[in-house]
Amino acid sequence: MIPLELYILLASIMFTIGLYGLITQKNGVKLMMCIELLLNSANINLVAFSAYQPNMNGQVFALFSIALAAAEAGVGFAILIALYRLYGTIDLDNINTMRW
Amino acid sequence: MYSDLAYLIVGLPVLAFVLCLFFGWHLPRGGGFITVLATLGAFIISFGIFQEIYPGDIVHQSMHWFGDFNVGILIDPLSLIMLLMVSLVVTLIHIYGNGYMNGDPGAARYFAEAALFSAAMLGLVYADNLLQLFIFWELVGLCSYLLIGFWYRKPSAAAAAKKAFLTTRVGDVMFLAAIIVLYNNLVNLNITLNPGEYLLQFPVIYAHIAEIPPDQLTLIALGLLGGAVGKSGQFPLHVWLPDAMEGPTTVSAMIHAATMVTAGVFLVARMFPLFYAAPHGLTAVAAVGAFTALFAATMGLTAFDIKRVLAFSTVSQLGFMMAGLGVGAAVGAFAVGVSMFHLIGHSFFKALLFLCAGSVIHAVNTNDMREMGGVGKYMKWTMYTMLIGSLSLAGFPLFTGFFSKDEIIMIAYEYGIAINFLPYIFLILAAVLTAIYTFRMWFSVFTGKERSNYGKHESPWVMLGPLVILAIFAFAFGFAAQHDFYNYLDSNFEHYDMDFVELGIIGGHALIEEHGAAAEEGEHASAEEGHGAAAEGEGSHAIPLHIQLLPYIVALGGILIAALFYWDKVKKFDPSQVTGDKDPIRKMLLKGYYQHEIMTGWICEGIVYGTALISNTIDIKIVDGWLNWLSAWVMGFAGHVRKVQTGVVQNYVTALMLGIVVLVIAIAAISLAMEVGLI
Repeated sequence: MIPLELYILLASIMFTIGLYGLITQKNGVKLMMCIELLLNSANINLVAFSAYQPNMNGQVFALFSIALAAAEAGVGFAILIALYRLYGTIDLDNINTMRW
Repeated sequence: MYSDLAYLIVGLPVLAFVLCLFFGWHLPRGGGFITVLATLGAFIISFGIFQEIYPGDIVHQSMHWFGDFNVGILIDPLSLIMLLMVSLVVTLIHIYGNGYMNGDPGAARYFAEAALFSAAMLGLVYADNLLQLFIFWELVGLCSYLLIGFWYRKPSAAAAAKKAFLTTRVGDVMFLAAIIVLYNNLVNLNITLNPGEYLLQFPVIYAHIAEIPPDQLTLIALGLLGGAVGKSGQFPLHVWLPDAMEGPTTVSAMIHAATMVTAGVFLVARMFPLFYAAPHGLTAVAAVGAFTALFAATMGLTAFDIKRVLAFSTVSQLGFMMAGLGVGAAVGAFAVGVSMFHLIGHSFFKALLFLCAGSVIHAVNTNDMREMGGVGKYMKWTMYTMLIGSLSLAGFPLFTGFFSKDEIIMIAYEYGIAINFLPYIFLILAAVLTAIYTFRMWFSVFTGKERSNYGKHESPWVMLGPLVILAIFAFAFGFAAQHDFYNYLDSNFEHYDMDFVELGIIGGHALIEEHGAAAEEGEHASAEEGHGAAAEGEGSHAIPLHIQLLPYIVALGGILIAALFYWDKVKKFDPSQVTGDKDPIRKMLLKGYYQHEIMTGWICEGIVYGTALISNTIDIKIVDGWLNWLSAWVMGFAGHVRKVQTGVVQNYVTALMLGIVVLVIAIAAISLAMEVGLI
């Protein structure tokens, strides 16, 4: 079996990439993608730990998490489309009507 | 059986209030018939109780409310008489109101408020403790405010309502203070109460008056008198009563006859033993009453508004009642019977007079007597019923007002022999003036030439019916009820555990002890055979014939003077010859002794407004000042701090991550330190 440490390493790398993207990027779609990375790194952890356990709880949890991510992506992209129609851009720095 | 239904005496009108308020809009005539039925029900129950307990019983029901207080019903002769009178008069006024308010868009509101007004007064008279009485007292004040300001779109009505509310409030505060002082004193006595007894219940108060320090008693009595002065329109708080004419005439009739101003007199009568025991308590009552009686009568002479004449006459007659109670210093509890007799009789003829005036105003469409004249040709029924009311008010022999007023003047004479003649002189003069202004009003409204082109039609029967019934009472109540009435009310305080002689000694009435004792004896001895004017005259056999005849002369003379001036058939003098428009005395009376000017001009604008300006400056500069400074500082600080909230998601994520990193490092450092053994 592949050792658990490698899974955790993969998950950490994915999480860091996602976080880096979240902090640096301005494009709404890119941000959504980064959030997916964060969520999926957590899913990898869940599945990996579950493989070392006698039961399937972790994998069930991961499935829930994927469904949640899909719903979140649906809402998120819908908002982005609405924003694009309104402002003609999805660069979040330009969407500042409600900021000071 | 009826005594078990006693709570319904208040319950029915309250129910009518709720029904009229919520459903009156959908009912014909604003649901006025509900109010009539409710008060009629209250009257029937009161009458049933009267038949059950007359002559020697009382009804007392009570339950615990909270703390030291209870709610309860106490029906003794005093409150029973009031219950009967209030519910009867109010029912008649409501029947009349069905005609009078017909077509008014606010009729439902009127009947709802009128029902609540009746409920409040009925609750007031049979409350068994002072706190409950005070609650209903305030309710009466509230309802009078609502009803005087019934046509609230009219600025003068709104102002009159406000004036009535604020003026009576002055008295109410004193009343409340008196209750608090009385309560404190009763607590200090450490009374052991039997189950079912509470501190502010009247029987408990009566039983312990003698133990309260006399100076405290005087304080309480003056506070209670203050409340009564406010509510009953005595000098100097009478100013609201003439202005209260702004409401519908039926409201004036209710306020003046049954439901409002009598509350003050009733309060003094209810607490009479306390006033009796308080040194100078009754002297103050007599002084206020006698002065008001004359003072208001003089103003009644010059008023042009028919309702204002009646209002001043109410103030004056209330003065009579107060004086009647006050001179009780000389005759003891007998004064309560005399005064209450005048109160009941007065409510009949004053309700009658107001309803007649309303009938006239309804047809003529003006309040100003200068524009009337000769109305009697078109309104026969109103004219004759009002004649009965006027004769009664003027004290014409054999009418109700004669018996009651005569009796008050008689006991004032006894008071004069025993203590001081001033109340007697004031009352006699007031009685002359009463006869004059009453008939000035009657002659100038119903006789003579038409002085303007007014509406000429008689009122409908729904309005005339109550007039006729009230006229019967205003005429016949006096000689029909006189003897039994005094006996019944004299027995009122015998139901309670107290000794009037002892109270009189506390109150400093010892110098007239023989007189008081004679009156007491007379009461007991004549309990069976009656105690009327004649019996009283024999009993004290100190009243010479000319004094006994004086009330007759006064009443007839007053009417004669009025006729000589105002009745065109026998007119000998022209009023304008005696007093021109420029006459300073006439102007002063018309202006109500400039009391309005003094009150608003000097007291309100000078003292109150000046104080208000100073308070306002302190409020703005100091109280508000530091608060405004504080809030300005907070806002400035927040203006800087809020820049942290950029609204950019990336910044928040970065801050979050930095926080996590710091947390992780801290946890790592702590656990490392623990492993090494530093902590």
